[in-house]
Amino acid sequence: MEHPGTFWGVIAWMIVWGVAGSVAIRRRYLQHDLDTSNTTFVGAMLGAATGPVGLVPLWLKTPELTNRLIVLPAIGAVVLVAAAFAFADPDSNCVANGSFVASQITNGIIIGIIYGFMALGLTLIFSILGVVSFSHGEFYMVGGMLTYYVTVVWLPGINPLLGIACACAVVFVLGALFERMFLTPMYQGRIDRPVEYGILITFGLAFTLQYFVQAIVGSNPVKTRRYFDFPRVRLPSPEDPWLVKTSRGNLELFDTISISNPRLTAAVACVAVLGALLYFLHRTWTGKALRAVSQDREAAAIAGIDPSRMNMLAFALGAMIAALAGALLVQAFSWLPQVGNIPAMRSFVIVVLGGLGSLPGAFVGGILVGLVEAAGTGCIPDPQKAASYIPAYGMVVLTLTLLLRPTGLFGRRYASGAHGKF
Amino acid sequence: MKKPILSAITAAAAAVSLGTGPAALAECETAIGGLAPLSAPGTVVGGEAMREAMLIAEEDLNAAGGVLGCKVKVVIADTEGLPEKAAAVMEKLITQDGAVAVGGGYHSSVGVASKDIANARGIPVVFAETWNDTITGDKQKYIFRIAPLSSWASSTIWKHALLVPGIEKAAILTENTDYGIPAAEETRKGLATGGVETVIFSVDIGTQDYAGIVERIKAEDPDIIITLATGEAGYNFAQQSADAGIGPQDLPFHSGQVSLESKSYWENVPDGNYAFVQRIGVPENLFNEKAKNFAAVYKERTGKAAVESYAMEAYDSIAIIAQAINEAGSTDGDAIVAALENISHDGTLGRIYFPYGTQKDPSVDGKGDEWWHQWPDPALTVIQYQEEGQNSVDSPIVWPDAYKTGDAVYVGR
Amino acid sequence: MRRRVPHLLGLALLAFFLAFPFVYSANDYPYVMHIMITSFFYAILASSWSMLAGYAGQFSFGHIGFMGVGAYTAALFSHYFWLSPVPTELCTEYRFGETWLVVVNPIGVTSTTLTQDCLRQAMEMWGDAVQPTRMPVWIGILLGTLMGGVFGFLIGVLVLRLRAAYLALFTLGFAEILKATISAEIEITRGQAGMELPALFESGVTLFGHTFDKTDKLPPYFVMFGLLLVCLAILAWLAGSKFGLFVRALREDQDAAAALGVNTTRYKVLVFVVTTMMAASAGAVQAHYVGIVTPNNLFLLQMSLVVAMAVIGGVESFIAAAIGAVLIEVALEMLRNSFVIGGVEIDMTIWRLVFFGIVLMLTLRFARNGLIAPLIGYFTRGHVARETVEHRLHPRAEEAAAK
Repeated sequence: MEHPGTFWGVIAWMIVWGVAGSVAIRRRYLQHDLDTSNTTFVGAMLGAATGPVGLVPLWLKTPELTNRLIVLPAIGAVVLVAAAFAFADPDSNCVANGSFVASQITNGIIIGIIYGFMALGLTLIFSILGVVSFSHGEFYMVGGMLTYYVTVVWLPGINPLLGIACACAVVFVLGALFERMFLTPMYQGRIDRPVEYGILITFGLAFTLQYFVQAIVGSNPVKTRRYFDFPRVRLPSPEDPWLVKTSRGNLELFDTISISNPRLTAAVACVAVLGALLYFLHRTWTGKALRAVSQDREAAAIAGIDPSRMNMLAFALGAMIAALAGALLVQAFSWLPQVGNIPAMRSFVIVVLGGLGSLPGAFVGGILVGLVEAAGTGCIPDPQKAASYIPAYGMVVLTLTLLLRPTGLFGRRYASGAHGKF
Repeated sequence: MKKPILSAITAAAAAVSLGTGPAALAECETAIGGLAPLSAPGTVVGGEAMREAMLIAEEDLNAAGGVLGCKVKVVIADTEGLPEKAAAVMEKLITQDGAVAVGGGYHSSVGVASKDIANARGIPVVFAETWNDTITGDKQKYIFRIAPLSSWASSTIWKHALLVPGIEKAAILTENTDYGIPAAEETRKGLATGGVETVIFSVDIGTQDYAGIVERIKAEDPDIIITLATGEAGYNFAQQSADAGIGPQDLPFHSGQVSLESKSYWENVPDGNYAFVQRIGVPENLFNEKAKNFAAVYKERTGKAAVESYAMEAYDSIAIIAQAINEAGSTDGDAIVAALENISHDGTLGRIYFPYGTQKDPSVDGKGDEWWHQWPDPALTVIQYQEEGQNSVDSPIVWPDAYKTGDAVYVGR
Repeated sequence: MRRRVPHLLGLALLAFFLAFPFVYSANDYPYVMHIMITSFFYAILASSWSMLAGYAGQFSFGHIGFMGVGAYTAALFSHYFWLSPVPTELCTEYRFGETWLVVVNPIGVTSTTLTQDCLRQAMEMWGDAVQPTRMPVWIGILLGTLMGGVFGFLIGVLVLRLRAAYLALFTLGFAEILKATISAEIEITRGQAGMELPALFESGVTLFGHTFDKTDKLPPYFVMFGLLLVCLAILAWLAGSKFGLFVRALREDQDAAAALGVNTTRYKVLVFVVTTMMAASAGAVQAHYVGIVTPNNLFLLQMSLVVAMAVIGGVESFIAAAIGAVLIEVALEMLRNSFVIGGVEIDMTIWRLVFFGIVLMLTLRFARNGLIAPLIGYFTRGHVARETVEHRLHPRAEEAAAK
């Protein structure tokens, strides 16, 4: 970095005014007996983006915090950080190299879609059961592991789709069984603190599953072959394929962005399944019943929906979504019993960023987290550190979200029943 | 009146077993410890290979009469690749299992953390696959090593890398451990002597998604990529580089040590042809009798098509301890050390000896402290996979010239 | 009479642990002592976590992170600060009377012995003439404890508005960021290579005319056991005082507690500071005892062990959590063997953790107060429970009849 002083100076300035803004604006709104739900966030972002210039009028006028007032300062703050970085380090690939930026953004979005999809399962479980499932990463791992065993070890040569379907079915049953055996006491009020019970019991399952798989299959890294090879495409012409060029395992767009086959197929599959899921949730009776339960348990029960069965369905479905993500990625990453830890953490980040219990939030959150990680890995000047910090980027997003806007992007303050309080 | 009857029965049983047993060893046992990473975050593939090798060593030793007329019992201990576990495990081997000496060892950090305990307790250790220079560099009385030195192993890689035609820039991916960081630094220094610029990327061992890093490496436009990572990180990185068009088939690519496990390598890195891998030990056609016998048993046991260098090192580390005990005529630590310092052991890797130690300091020959209790002759070679699905032992050795069995293929550009 | 049983048992347990190092004399003495010391370490973590999570309802997943703060503070302190009678003229140094405080420059991880920090270079020049000394270990432990408190205070303030799942995720985030930072800042923390620390009693210690060498297990055993007792005493005192009442009120209903005039902010932060300081001090002592600390000590697995120990012991009783931790740690170590059933060799090194997970789930499901807490409760509150049960049973029975 050429001018580190400038960059860190700007960051320090933003932090000081951000903290000042978040505290002062919240106080001010509280004194005036106004709605304070977004004050911390707006105060922090406006303070960071504009400093006293924006904070003073806000403090004086205390306007209603409309969506525009929420979104614009946030964008301003991000732009300011980017500008400070660009000024401080003009030679960085992130600033000077357009095709590098395009590749990083594409990669971020693609992996973000996959992880957003996985987080969708987590948020689905939360919206119905009010449980943050700590075993999500292990369902992901089991999904990938089963797909490997079905397609490579037990029935080699089988269509990978069958392997994936098989893994999903097994995990669906596993999720349903677990819910029946261990989560049912939660709904009957037999447990004092259901949220904590839910965390602990899923945590126990994660622990057991991870070591069970390790004891059974060992710790050799395994991987399936690519499910599908790209056909050879050269566009617009074979001599000068500046538009699209493919090889078996790679797709290159505009001579700059290269996307690997396993990731692209996984992302496309995720989008397709997401479509199917949305159809299921909005167009079928069961799906509507699920959504009804997530909105109001008692009312749904009165309308003749059995919330207990919906709990089972939601947990099994959520687990299956994680397994599907794993089954799609076992062709991209070497698979081990510990492989679920990182995506599980990332799913937590995503659901909190998107808002616990919000389905669109999970998807948008996934893409945002993908982009943040790509930016962190791509832009931190010291190559020795950029990758070492990968696990931290998401966690910084998580802590910032929880501090500034615990409801996340699209969060509701409640999930079903009594245990959705935060 | 029960006791005499009981003892009569045991005596009879003992007589029967003595009469029928193939190796008529006395009913005593000498325990030798064996360190290996058998659970994550350690490199389990390597650990399991080493465990198998050390158990074969145990059988071979017992078939040859054990040590001092007693059976040898190799007690395998799981280090998990964690230094703090290693300390506890070493403690357990010595005090609970009564190990008189310890062999094996894969991760450098494990060696660094556990050597002090063994040294304090006066138990000799022959490390098999821990490369970090400080392990012998601390000049501890009870610490020996048959693995190559890290600084020396790095030199194989950079000397070979300098041969790549038209090389100007190298990218190194390293794990941020005390194996990876110093090795990367030494490789960078070595490459600089040939006027090659180097950029180093370091990652956490558990990292799976290298997309961002691969893009950065691509933007650096290197002429060679060198991976200094143990475990599955090497697979993930190689395959994801290949996906992005900078893999082994696109430019010269040194893959991590784990790539010697051919079957696992081809499953995890299907596009990994033309990768270079560093290998310790001579090629299979130059194997001595002992190495051939061991390789045959090892292949049969594990179902693998090749024997990895760390398995041979692990085997030798146990065998050399046994020979030292026999020569010392006792299981006393000091006696074993004295025997080890004077040993000449015909192992699977060749003749093993330790020229420097308490009798002759390395500085006498102008060598650094790291040559203390260090076997100076392990053969370091670079192999290259040249056909898809090839076995690491069938792949040609492309460097150094002394062992060369084929020409390197430099792909790309 | 029955109410005294736990006290008597407690005294017996105390006497057992006090006498154990003197009575036990098998060959594997150092190894068994090592397990005991580690189990006390986990006992401190589990009991302080049970105060935080069980009593106060603050479900923190960052406890292991605070442990790491203590351990790394002690490690950094002993690594970078030295006292020397002669100035090195290479390092940053400050004069205090006749001694110089030397601040060693960070050089990160190196392989060869050639690249050395400024102090090692100076020592090479001095030869044996000058011996710089480390700072006293206890200052490092104290600093670690205080630093744990500072972090606990900051996190405690930040999580004031968060509850339940959000709090768990936030604290998890804290621990992960801490771990990533330690792994990445290799120049200072030596990353995954870990930092080496001097032993608790580097130059040995003499007790009752017997000199213990630095590798002897007896002194660290009593240090760790003493720390555990101090922590338990503080916890018992807190639980019995107004503080205990208030933090339990926090757990049951924060809003109601606030409405009744409990200063929820103060108690929430306070309970964080107290418990994190305990975790940090345990971390600092353990780091000095083991002699090395790495970022893997902050692994989520370590946290899951602490949580599981507390839960299996009984999360709402810190004594039960401590006993649970000791029992489980000992059991886990003892099960590190393989045995053969019907010709099939079972490698317990891995399976023990599977069984452990199953026990954890079953305990949660069927014995919500853990396995040890109910035992204590049976004796101390048996009569209360019986009365309550009778009270409850009769109206319930009538209700059932009415249905």
